[in-house]
Amino acid sequence: MKDFVQFVFNGLSLGSIYALLALGFVVIFKATEVVNFAHGSILALGAYAISRFSFNSHIEFYLAVLLGVAIAALLAFVIERGLVRTMAGRSVIAVSIMTIGVDLIVRTETTRRIGVDVLTLGDPWRDGIVHVAGLTVPTARVWAIVTALVILAAFFAWFKFSSFGVAMRASAEDSETASLMGIRMGRISAVAWVLAGALAAVAGVFLTAFPSAGLDASTGDVALRAFPAAILGGLDSTGGAVVGGLIIGVAEVLTAGYQSDLTVLGRGFDQVMPYVVMVAVLLVRPTGLFGTREATRV
Amino acid sequence: MSGAASHPTLAVSGITVRFAGLTALDDVSFEVEPGTVHALIGPNGAGKSTMFNVLSGVYRPVAGSVSFGGVELVGLPPHAIAGLGVARTFQNIALFPAATVEENLMLGRHHLTRAGFIGAGLRLPFAIREDRRHRARVTEIAEFLGIGGLLQLPAGDLSYGDQKRVEMARALCVEPAILLLDEPVAGMDAAETGQVATAIRDIREGLGISILLVEHDMGLVMGIADRVTVLDFGRRIADGAPARVRSDPEVIRAYLGTGHNGAAAPAATPPSASSPPPVPSPADASPAWAWNENEEPPS
Amino acid sequence: MSEVAVSSLESAAGAAVAGGRGRSGRRTLVARVGVVVLVALVPLALGTIDTEGQDFWLQAGVFAFAAMIAALGLTLLVGGAGQLSLAHSFFVAIGAYAYTYLSSATRGTGTTIASSIQGGFGLPTPVAMVGAVLIAGLAGLLFSPISSRLRGIYLGVASLGLVFVGLHVAFNAQKVSGGFNGRDVPDFNLLGFAFDTSPLSVLGVGFTRNSKLWYLGLACVVLAYVYYVNVLEGRPGRALRCLRDSEVAASVLGVNVVRYKAYAFTLSSMYAGLGGVILALAYHHIVPDTFGLGLTVSFLAMIVIGGLGSPGGALVGALFVTALPLLLAKYSDSLPFLAPTGSGGVTAAVAAQFIYGAAVILLLVFEPGGVAALARRVPRLASRLRRSPHSSTQKEAA
Repeated sequence: MKDFVQFVFNGLSLGSIYALLALGFVVIFKATEVVNFAHGSILALGAYAISRFSFNSHIEFYLAVLLGVAIAALLAFVIERGLVRTMAGRSVIAVSIMTIGVDLIVRTETTRRIGVDVLTLGDPWRDGIVHVAGLTVPTARVWAIVTALVILAAFFAWFKFSSFGVAMRASAEDSETASLMGIRMGRISAVAWVLAGALAAVAGVFLTAFPSAGLDASTGDVALRAFPAAILGGLDSTGGAVVGGLIIGVAEVLTAGYQSDLTVLGRGFDQVMPYVVMVAVLLVRPTGLFGTREATRV
Repeated sequence: MSGAASHPTLAVSGITVRFAGLTALDDVSFEVEPGTVHALIGPNGAGKSTMFNVLSGVYRPVAGSVSFGGVELVGLPPHAIAGLGVARTFQNIALFPAATVEENLMLGRHHLTRAGFIGAGLRLPFAIREDRRHRARVTEIAEFLGIGGLLQLPAGDLSYGDQKRVEMARALCVEPAILLLDEPVAGMDAAETGQVATAIRDIREGLGISILLVEHDMGLVMGIADRVTVLDFGRRIADGAPARVRSDPEVIRAYLGTGHNGAAAPAATPPSASSPPPVPSPADASPAWAWNENEEPPS
Repeated sequence: MSEVAVSSLESAAGAAVAGGRGRSGRRTLVARVGVVVLVALVPLALGTIDTEGQDFWLQAGVFAFAAMIAALGLTLLVGGAGQLSLAHSFFVAIGAYAYTYLSSATRGTGTTIASSIQGGFGLPTPVAMVGAVLIAGLAGLLFSPISSRLRGIYLGVASLGLVFVGLHVAFNAQKVSGGFNGRDVPDFNLLGFAFDTSPLSVLGVGFTRNSKLWYLGLACVVLAYVYYVNVLEGRPGRALRCLRDSEVAASVLGVNVVRYKAYAFTLSSMYAGLGGVILALAYHHIVPDTFGLGLTVSFLAMIVIGGLGSPGGALVGALFVTALPLLLAKYSDSLPFLAPTGSGGVTAAVAAQFIYGAAVILLLVFEPGGVAALARRVPRLASRLRRSPHSSTQKEAA
């Protein structure tokens, strides 16, 4: 039982990181109906930049993070302005495949630069551990939860109350009407991409911090596990992204934790678990837990 | 093709549709008799297109039934309804622009043909024969509607009026027992409207197919419909022969009410209903000749 | 002769099939047959031109053929039916492993290490090939509760899961896949004709394993292509294209949308399966890592480069994406901008990724029709040149 509580807590902390990533997918999807397959490489580039700033340039960690977040956001902005926008009016599938092309290039370059190394980002938490109510938690994961909570709270408040959030929700409802009502779709799309890029970099900080070994060539792939999170929550539901992230995190950690009892599934099943959960949910609800069912329009 | 007598009656009863709390159709009932032209009219937002979507299986009503020759249509998927001989056109043309007119029409033959991934993929003799036979029938139908010369052109290159006729031809290619036409003359000039009216009459008289028509052009409706059902805000407010419906005070009120309410007016053509043009013959008699002379085109 | 005339008249009356089997269709047919004959002559020509590098080229060709078949399946799904799949490498893997498992004899039973036991049915290889394609199709069909209910982009992300599940199984199901170290692929043997390393000489021309596989691969590509064109121009293709454009319109015209989406996914999986069989034969030994996300992405690159939905484009795209890294690697010494492998610089493999990543982006942004659309422009450009006599004489002079 104690194990179980520990696993669930670890799962929630991992899930809060996935939630940040999944939120990025959802925000982009809501604004542009595009699935951003370059999310993983944006994360990897941001994390790589942070690592370089804090080690090669000896910049203070938090400043390095700010710079890395800015670089990830800038990359997202460039993708949106340079490519997504020029493809306006084209099929969503075409634009999404285009982001795969972007991913290919950015990922190849970050992988080449990282090589076989495992880089740390120079975070101050190192391998610190705190004991809370009988649970053993890495300090970095405590910060992950705190950071995710703060960011998510700020996001939802902003999304709900700012005129911008209203505009964004309106545009997701019906972009044609929204643009007729004077909402500038271009700005909404740009802000969505910048926000998603920044969130990816922040997630990258915690994904590479303890208990992970650090940033390696496959870190970007971890972002792929936020896909199931976003999909099972519902690609157009911001709240669903958070719930989906937490579910995926808990499912993954539980599977890893009870691996010895699940040998029949093979080693490393925890890496596959997010996708299994996603498929199970989709079988019951084709648009995810909180996704709006598409109303047929004729 | 079999005569009108064997075609079934379409009986709509108590259909209710709600979207997110909004009642789009409220307990609507009417019947389309075999071999008749039945018009469904009403101001914008009255629920006419919603009714079409219910009849063709795109929407599922929360209550009510649609019986077509004794078969319940509510709950059937759209392709099954098409298979029973219910064909429709769309208010916004839904052709493939890149494909030729012939290919578009061949799609209407889908449920009448069998060639599948094996037959078509391996070009088995039966598939080739089937293809040839149905292309011949498609040509016949196209010529019937006067678009035989357009068969090899990409549908997207045609004029708006021609596209509308291609869509009607495609619905006919389904070999329907009833044809649902959603605003077949919207956006057409008087000459084109005349062609469509002739086509509708030819379909009814030549092929014996029942026609349910949604249309704003009152001249067309009053000219060719045998029976008219009027919807307003999702409710049926009148049902009967065109002449009777036209003089129904509630119908006049419904049209006048929206006619003065700015936004809803431009798409509709209400004035003819509120100020009825002289009708030379009772609506039960064939009014075929009447509409074109009496009705001024809106522009 | 007269029979031909009659049938051509008939087909003209029926206006043949879209895309034309009419007069212009005949010319394209001749052109296509010509291409096939030329490709079939390549192994013979190679023997006289480049004897040392011969096998490299032949193997590259077999890889390209495998990719072409699988790419046809993906372009059918994405371009033809408007459904995005990222699971293509999974179905390629199914084809490859199913062929290997069905055709291998169980071996290793004598050894004491359980993990070295590799199962198999020892079926004749042609049977195994057909079986592998059917199993891949079955796997696609089993996914249909999801593939037929999800729309385009949702399906894309959901299908991503299959790749990871597939890799997991491939690593863990030792008896089937050989696990991490993989397993050998039995040579194809058609009615006693072995596509193996045994020396074969026909009319004084020697055939290696790869040159035999070249013909097997080419034959499969031709069949796959012809079938593709027939299906797309026939009744099922019309239904698929219609549901891509509007599911509602398709369904009210009598197309069972759910079923057709499942069909498209299943057929696409079968193409992937056949591609997997050829790929396995080309590798001669398959390991799970081959079938990861990278493979899926390269298939997408192929069909985008070729132009979504264009079968000819899929072939060109597959050739480009398969050949590019091999070519860059072969000539990396003479290409000044490439760093040697393992140096951490821009190696041939990295450069290839950059190039086809960029090709995907640029084509999607500027020429959505891909190579297929570019190719259509060339004749138009040529005829424009011909019309202005001045430039045409210059061309001739040059």
